[in-house]
Amino acid sequence: MSFSTPVKSRPSIASCSPSRMSYQQPRLDSSPLTPRRYTQLTSSFMSSRRRSPSGAQAKSCIHRQASSPLKLDSYLPEGALAGTGPVSSTPKRPTKKQLYRSSVQGDRFIPSRSSTSTAMSKLESESKISPVSSDSSASSTSSAPSYQPNTVALAYQSSVAEACGLALNTRILAFKPEAPQSSKPIDLRSQYNRPLKPAANAQLRRRLPTSAERILDAPGIRDDYYLNLLDWSCNNQVAIGLDRDLYVWNAETGTVSSLLQTRPNTYIAGIKWSGDGAYVAVGLSDGDVQIWDAEEGEKVRSMTGHAARVGVLSWDHHILSSGCRDGSIWNHDVRVAEHKVSEFVNHQAEVCGLQWRSDGSQLASGGNDNLVNIWDARSSTPKFTKSNHKAAVKALAWCPWQLNLLATGGGTYDKHIHFWNGTTGARLNSIDTGSQVTSLQWSTTYKEIVSSHGYPDNNLAIWSYPTLVKNCEIQGHDTRVLSSALSPDGSTLATVASDENLKFWKVFEQIGKKVSSAVGGTLGSGKDIAKVMMIR
Amino acid sequence: MPASAKSQAQTAASIAAPTRSKLSLKGSSKVVAEFFEYSINSILFQRGIYPPEDFQVVKKYGLNMLVTVDEEVKAYIRRIMSQLNKWIIGGKISKLVVAVVSLDTADVAERWQFDIEVFSKGVMTRKATLVADKENAVPASGAQTKEKSIDEVQSEIQAIIRQITASVTFLPVLEGRHTFNVLVYADGDAQVPAEWIDSDPKEVRNAEQVKLRSFSTNSHKVDTMVAYRLGNAE
Repeated sequence: MSFSTPVKSRPSIASCSPSRMSYQQPRLDSSPLTPRRYTQLTSSFMSSRRRSPSGAQAKSCIHRQASSPLKLDSYLPEGALAGTGPVSSTPKRPTKKQLYRSSVQGDRFIPSRSSTSTAMSKLESESKISPVSSDSSASSTSSAPSYQPNTVALAYQSSVAEACGLALNTRILAFKPEAPQSSKPIDLRSQYNRPLKPAANAQLRRRLPTSAERILDAPGIRDDYYLNLLDWSCNNQVAIGLDRDLYVWNAETGTVSSLLQTRPNTYIAGIKWSGDGAYVAVGLSDGDVQIWDAEEGEKVRSMTGHAARVGVLSWDHHILSSGCRDGSIWNHDVRVAEHKVSEFVNHQAEVCGLQWRSDGSQLASGGNDNLVNIWDARSSTPKFTKSNHKAAVKALAWCPWQLNLLATGGGTYDKHIHFWNGTTGARLNSIDTGSQVTSLQWSTTYKEIVSSHGYPDNNLAIWSYPTLVKNCEIQGHDTRVLSSALSPDGSTLATVASDENLKFWKVFEQIGKKVSSAVGGTLGSGKDIAKVMMIR
Repeated sequence: MPASAKSQAQTAASIAAPTRSKLSLKGSSKVVAEFFEYSINSILFQRGIYPPEDFQVVKKYGLNMLVTVDEEVKAYIRRIMSQLNKWIIGGKISKLVVAVVSLDTADVAERWQFDIEVFSKGVMTRKATLVADKENAVPASGAQTKEKSIDEVQSEIQAIIRQITASVTFLPVLEGRHTFNVLVYADGDAQVPAEWIDSDPKEVRNAEQVKLRSFSTNSHKVDTMVAYRLGNAE
């Protein structure tokens, strides 16, 4: 029964358009498939609507026709044989309305208009047999609804945009090149509790050494506590006495030269650079005191007179003081032939520590009689005699930033560092180091003092002053550290031990000033030394 | 910088503005552009897009502003600002957006939005009509009626910068590495160099929004807003 309608309509539609053919197959199917076909219809309907030329309009007209048979299938029970146009138009109308509404406009009031017009067009197209006339009628009727939705949509869009506060003709632009990426991950949390001072920055924090910056051999160094065999000049040269030989190591160039060799049966007991770094004073085991020109490599003069070995020397400008094993301290004026200008006699045993204050007004001496004497330069009797140490006093150091402050360190049975006021003679502080104190060096950069030790720890220790907190302990040598010397820029400490090693430690590295000192070209800046040490 | 702003105002005064304490449109554009530059720098610092060591303190708006010293970042911002300057002077953009984007997931974590409103007195007729409309909608922009001195503008900017700085207290900590994108909402007729491409608005999903203060000159009004994603709240 239902076949009658398709058969009847086929010729007219086939002549109208080939697209019609695709809908013949579904028509043969039963009603359950209707929804799927419905969507097909809407999509094709929409696509045809987009195209405005009359040919497309004709196609849309055909689709509408195509939809009618489908609906007919579903309405078949009541429709029966009524396969002609007028009958089928009654069920068709609502579906078309739905179709049109859902596909094009969301507006409620449009269907009434569109239904009338489409119904008309459909009626016309169905009644007409000739394809040409149906074409023209379809184009004329459907042209109006096909343009209208566009303008409506535009208006709708603009009204929505207006409601959202958007201007329609704006563009959102992004800067295309990618932002440079940060070099490292950032944790903001660490930033929240960062200290106010940038000095606490990890990169700027001072690192205390755990290993030596450089190690040199010191073969044949005499393992004798009472000798002073190491000194560093302001010209950045390190002098070291190895038994009979005196070697000079230039820290800037890394070259080593042998300055002198003593007579047989003697050895070098004390070494001290003059203040200008041009001369080195050498105390010998036979009591001779010699002055050598380091650059020329020749002896300037010899100052004899001591009866025993001269183990310690100290310069104050043109005055060279020498401490002798017999306990006497002689002051030599190196400019005159009669060199001995005065004698300080108080020690009962060998003088092993001797240090002029930087302004030359006081001389501190320490001896094997466990005494510390503080001498006034103008008097041959000691200003103060201190007997607090219980062992020989070799380590003596005047404080660079507080002129009257003297630090002294005692030997194996004493193990103490005492701090003295050189003006009043008062003992200010004491540290029990736990080891024999062999040398003391104040830092010129920090408020610190470094001590070197012998039995039992053989270590180096850095102390804060005046808090006396031990900042750092360095296990530098296998055996006891005999002597130490500070580089002219105050950054590096040289230590020599009885294990025949000369080691260099960056204990007082200047963090902030390092660059400026290198630029300034001051004598032997720490950077230069470091560079040489790395190369050599 | 106040000196340069003033000199700008002076040169402008010789052309158009009646007194030197007021800002012409051109001077105002400069103030706005400058504000953006410092704001971007502040955001980069405060949100940890670049390490704090890369920033240096500069006195500006009576505050210690942090400005990047990293050459690459500086050059990048300079390229953005050179174009922004042109657009602001031409009145071609209505919004500036700094989007903080995760490097790993490319999600937008934060979105700093600066709305620019241009007032005009017959300089640009098209804008004038726009403003007339806006004025009805936003009665708060009464600032336009009375003339503002540079000092007043500066103190308003100062307040915004302070808010940006203070925002780290409520903004969630940015986990992982992030970078940033700069977006503008430009007029359709704006000239766009090849470096700038059309983009989506880079909205933050599940965003919480906080409106910050605004400042206005005689010619511009800038509203500030930050949108951010709530940590785990979905």
